[in-house]
Amino acid sequence: MSGPRVPPLRRRDFLAGAAVSFALLAGPAAAGASAPTQAGLESGLTCQCGCGLTVHSCNHLNCSSSIPLKKEISERIALGGSEEEILSYFQAKYGEKILSAPTTTGFNLAAWTMPFVGIGLGAAIIGWVLARWRRGAASRPAPVVARDSLEGDPASRDRIEAALRDWDTRS
Amino acid sequence: MSEIGRLAIVLGFVVALWGIGASVLGALRRDRDLVASGSHAAYAFSALVGIAVAALLYLLLTHDFNVEYVASYSSTTLPVWYTISALWGGMKGSLLWWTFILAVCNAIVQAQNRAKNRDAMPWVTAVLLSVGAFFLSLLVFVTDPFERLSFTPAEGSDLNPLLQNYWMTIHPPSLYVGFVTTTVPFAFAIAALATGKLGDNWIRTTRRWTIFSWFFLTLGNLFGAAWAYVVLGWGGYWAWDPVENAAFMPWLTSTAFLHSVMIQEKKDMLKVWNMVLVILTFALTIFGTFLTRSGVISSVHSFTQSGMGPFFMGFLLFVLAVSIGLLAWRLPMLKSRNELESVFSREAAFLLNNLVLVGIAFTVFWGTVFPVISEWVRGVKITVGPPFFNRVNAPLALALVLLMGIGPVIAWRRASWQSLKRSFLWPTATGLAVGLASLLLAGGNFYAVVAFSLSAFALTTVWIEFWRGMRVRQAMLGEPAWTALSRLVGKNRRRYGGYVVHVGTAMVFIGIVASSVFKLEKQQGLEPGGTVDIGPYTLRYDGVRTESDPHVDKTLAQVFVTRGGKPVGTLEPEKRFYKRTKQPTTEVAIWSTLGSDLYVVLGSYDAPSKSAVLQVFLNPLMAWMWLGGVVMALGTAICMWPAWSERTATVAAGLPAGTRTAS
Repeated sequence: MSGPRVPPLRRRDFLAGAAVSFALLAGPAAAGASAPTQAGLESGLTCQCGCGLTVHSCNHLNCSSSIPLKKEISERIALGGSEEEILSYFQAKYGEKILSAPTTTGFNLAAWTMPFVGIGLGAAIIGWVLARWRRGAASRPAPVVARDSLEGDPASRDRIEAALRDWDTRS
Repeated sequence: MSEIGRLAIVLGFVVALWGIGASVLGALRRDRDLVASGSHAAYAFSALVGIAVAALLYLLLTHDFNVEYVASYSSTTLPVWYTISALWGGMKGSLLWWTFILAVCNAIVQAQNRAKNRDAMPWVTAVLLSVGAFFLSLLVFVTDPFERLSFTPAEGSDLNPLLQNYWMTIHPPSLYVGFVTTTVPFAFAIAALATGKLGDNWIRTTRRWTIFSWFFLTLGNLFGAAWAYVVLGWGGYWAWDPVENAAFMPWLTSTAFLHSVMIQEKKDMLKVWNMVLVILTFALTIFGTFLTRSGVISSVHSFTQSGMGPFFMGFLLFVLAVSIGLLAWRLPMLKSRNELESVFSREAAFLLNNLVLVGIAFTVFWGTVFPVISEWVRGVKITVGPPFFNRVNAPLALALVLLMGIGPVIAWRRASWQSLKRSFLWPTATGLAVGLASLLLAGGNFYAVVAFSLSAFALTTVWIEFWRGMRVRQAMLGEPAWTALSRLVGKNRRRYGGYVVHVGTAMVFIGIVASSVFKLEKQQGLEPGGTVDIGPYTLRYDGVRTESDPHVDKTLAQVFVTRGGKPVGTLEPEKRFYKRTKQPTTEVAIWSTLGSDLYVVLGSYDAPSKSAVLQVFLNPLMAWMWLGGVVMALGTAICMWPAWSERTATVAAGLPAGTRTAS
């Protein structure tokens, strides 16, 4: 059953792959489009009527907040300026709470970075734990038959699982 | 009747206290009579809470407006189904309902374990009754659902119109069942810590409860999304509202637990981590209740807000202190022989899966509480809304789908290049092909291309697992395809049920991505006869018609829809005006196909000119999201379905099917 010995994957290959993948996935998140659009700006502002939705999503009949804000957004777009500049204008006029996401400066930076710091810390802990466990495994003799060769074979796997189920039932 | 209800909750509280004391003392003194008394108290508690619920229901159905709760949340014109749902429509009733579900769970646990888990059961009973006693203490001392008014109003104030929707009749009960049933694994975990019997018996005992809880958390979240979709009328279904987040976080940690527990079962590893996940999941349900009822963070669910926040925060801190204390005490006993042969193994994939799931839970938690932290630190109120959550969670969700494809097929212990090639060649090729097709069709939207590609990868791994298993049975046993498939699933329901859940999850994910990224929307003022085009559809506004009954006035726009010149039908988006509460609401009209939802909202209507403003959305692949939910439910049912041998054994023993899970 066991085929020719194939060298195992190296951890650094894996880490490099993971880093590239994450950079690819996170890249677009970091990139911000600055050309102002009505929908984009409406999504960047929170309706103040208490609905908790963005200005874009609020559809309350005669809403005293989202309707004037939508009008004001179109006026600001007509006056020119980037999306960031227009959002800054609204922030200055109505306060920071009108923005639907925290800014990326000062203390607010913590809102954006903490999740990744937390996950990074978790990844580091897992890496450390895995390394410890691997050291533990390395100190034991290797099995004669690679388990993997059975894992890939559904017939063998079925037989093993049937035996295990039988064992479970009897015990 | 209110006096009976009041008496029932007071007695229920007293009985719960007795049961806690008897169970703990019985466990410490090894006194069987005391332990039995604690168990009987649990049954009595369930019966008393049941009487209280029946009393409140009776008061609602008989419109006894002298009872403050009935006057506040119902009316004589409210349809009977919504009158029943008023039971959980207000804060007091929802607390009673919560306690009732817990009481029922407690009774089932007692029945399942009357001859088993003798060491653990007194502690399990004590924990379940403690949680029940906390909720009843609120109803007895703080907020009495049977409180009478000094006068009897002629009419009730009616149920919040936003709750007068069929999804709202099933969303809160489902979510409550999901929330409350997390108490059972938590109680067994605490019992394991208390008794020092820290093997995987408590995990095997609560396996089906855990899946059951996860199932209802899933349904609760999906039903909530469906409610938001059809009632709030903004074209979406998830706004990252704090209360939505509160329901989502336990789902994430519960999902992480369902995966990591397999490592403990198979490899006797991660004992501490599994304890942490069970405690965290339960704590998050209490945190969610705190968020819903404290008003500390503004939410669209403000109708349940009250001054109960400090009580829930106090209880949460108590739960965490006791759990962490016990965990720290038993830490030396929880050490297991952890070994890992390779990072390319299912163990490692599951650990990464846990990292991502808990990472998303942390992100959601952090974003939810950050406005409060900001106010504390800077004195400035800020908003953390959808742009934050979408941006931070998007890469994590993609990583999760990738792991969902890898986890089921990568080998335990060690995978070689050869097996990786064998397992992932076709899924990778399919993923790349779908990615390429998406790139050509989807106009280069990065997230959509990657999401569809990874979903295809994950779905193909599941497909191959089913196909290979089926082919082997056909080849070796000569079974026809359908027999081979059904026996393959039937003989390993947990594994293949899990795969079906993965298929449903991928479908939900595809629906979310497509409806978020490719949504089209238009808002247009129209005179009768005017038209608006969106995607392949043309909508013609033909005026409005009105309906009225004693409860509600309705204005229904008549929107005739064609697709490519062929008639589709008439949609009737509504504006409703509820007479008692004097509140307007929106009822959207949806034309749903497998490809997209045509979603029409009557924005406003001007009676003199008969003109209307229509908001029209085209949400691609929305049906995939709901169908995905159905597939997830099917997969969970397969996982929970008792085996034939199990059923015959329990029938022979005169027990209800499924009882063996608690053996």
